[in-house]
Amino acid sequence: MDILILNGSPSGSRLNGQIAELKSLLEKTAHAVRELTLRDMKYSPCRGCFGCWVKTPGRCIFRDDGDILCSQAIHSDMVILASPLRMGYPSALTKNALDRMIPLIHPYLEGIDNEAHHMKRYDRYPLLGLLLEKEADTDQDDMDIVHEIFRRAAINLRSAMQFVAYTDKPIEEVCNAINHS
Amino acid sequence: MRLTILNGSPRGKKSNSAVLLSHFTRGFLESPGNSMETLHLINERPGFEKPKDAFFSAERILLAFPLYVDAMPGSVKEFIEKLEPYKGKRPDLRLMYLVQNGFPETCHNRPVQRYLEKLTRRRGCAYGGSIVKGGCEGLDVQPSFLVEKVFDLFYQIGISYGRTGLLDNDLLARLARPEHLSPENIAQVIPMVNVFLWDSLMDKNGAKDRSFDRPYL
Repeated sequence: MDILILNGSPSGSRLNGQIAELKSLLEKTAHAVRELTLRDMKYSPCRGCFGCWVKTPGRCIFRDDGDILCSQAIHSDMVILASPLRMGYPSALTKNALDRMIPLIHPYLEGIDNEAHHMKRYDRYPLLGLLLEKEADTDQDDMDIVHEIFRRAAINLRSAMQFVAYTDKPIEEVCNAINHS
Repeated sequence: MRLTILNGSPRGKKSNSAVLLSHFTRGFLESPGNSMETLHLINERPGFEKPKDAFFSAERILLAFPLYVDAMPGSVKEFIEKLEPYKGKRPDLRLMYLVQNGFPETCHNRPVQRYLEKLTRRRGCAYGGSIVKGGCEGLDVQPSFLVEKVFDLFYQIGISYGRTGLLDNDLLARLARPEHLSPENIAQVIPMVNVFLWDSLMDKNGAKDRSFDRPYL
């Protein structure tokens, strides 16, 4: 598989080492892995102008690294969001990257399992995985909330949630989860 | 009662969130002695100094935002992270929320509503409830009788909140309709959204024939 890791952690965080470990494990099991370090990229938050849907379909009107996020993601079989939880949700760095991926879908709605969701723009989309670092006070309730939000986000991005893993478990388990997907 | 409104819409003053808030505040300000201030978070990046100060000084805060990829916009998450150091310092602060989404139904907002309730407890503040509403994109192209009904409910919720300091659960439930769409509704409503909202916006920009472009292939 072609795997894209979006590294949404701050510099100096332990998570960076764990991402590097995951990357090397995945490469050993015959995956091609690319990593984008979000803190080193320049992309503005989505301003909700809908230019990417109604002016320049499929592309944000901002000319910045959002272009790289979209083109790298759509050419992957799986996107792994690797981020610390902060205040119970992945980092703003990660969320801003996710918001900038809406050019990949179409504004039209369609019914999926009796709910309105966005239509596809491309024929195929990457699967989604989450590698999260817990906060000191993360509990089961927090994890359930994050899982539910991202399960739904995956539907809207025309992806499917493949796994949610936490860095307090061995990274090998993440690698195994991916290899069995 | 003094209310501080933090509008988290990335469109700032020119947002659907701001329009909905204006109907709420019109009702809120009808009670004598009530006052409010509004800050647009998008103009406060990246330091968020003024809204951070509000967390120290305000009595009541209403944080409003549109649903972006099933959660808060990234710029609102930037602000939420700035609040990490203030955990537990304002147990008397009442926090409430307004979350609106562009899908026809309200159910999309429920997971982030659950997140916000937990976030409020995590900060050690008092949770004042959430106003949640779907169907808020293209308010200017929707039939006016529907839009007026939504505006009126925001106004009623504002009046009631202004008098009691509490969100009225019956009004919240009425506002949230439709929570889900029936298969018949889906068949009926979705083509209308696609034509009256998206096609008309694409037409305006001469982009309709490029609507399904795939620039990254």
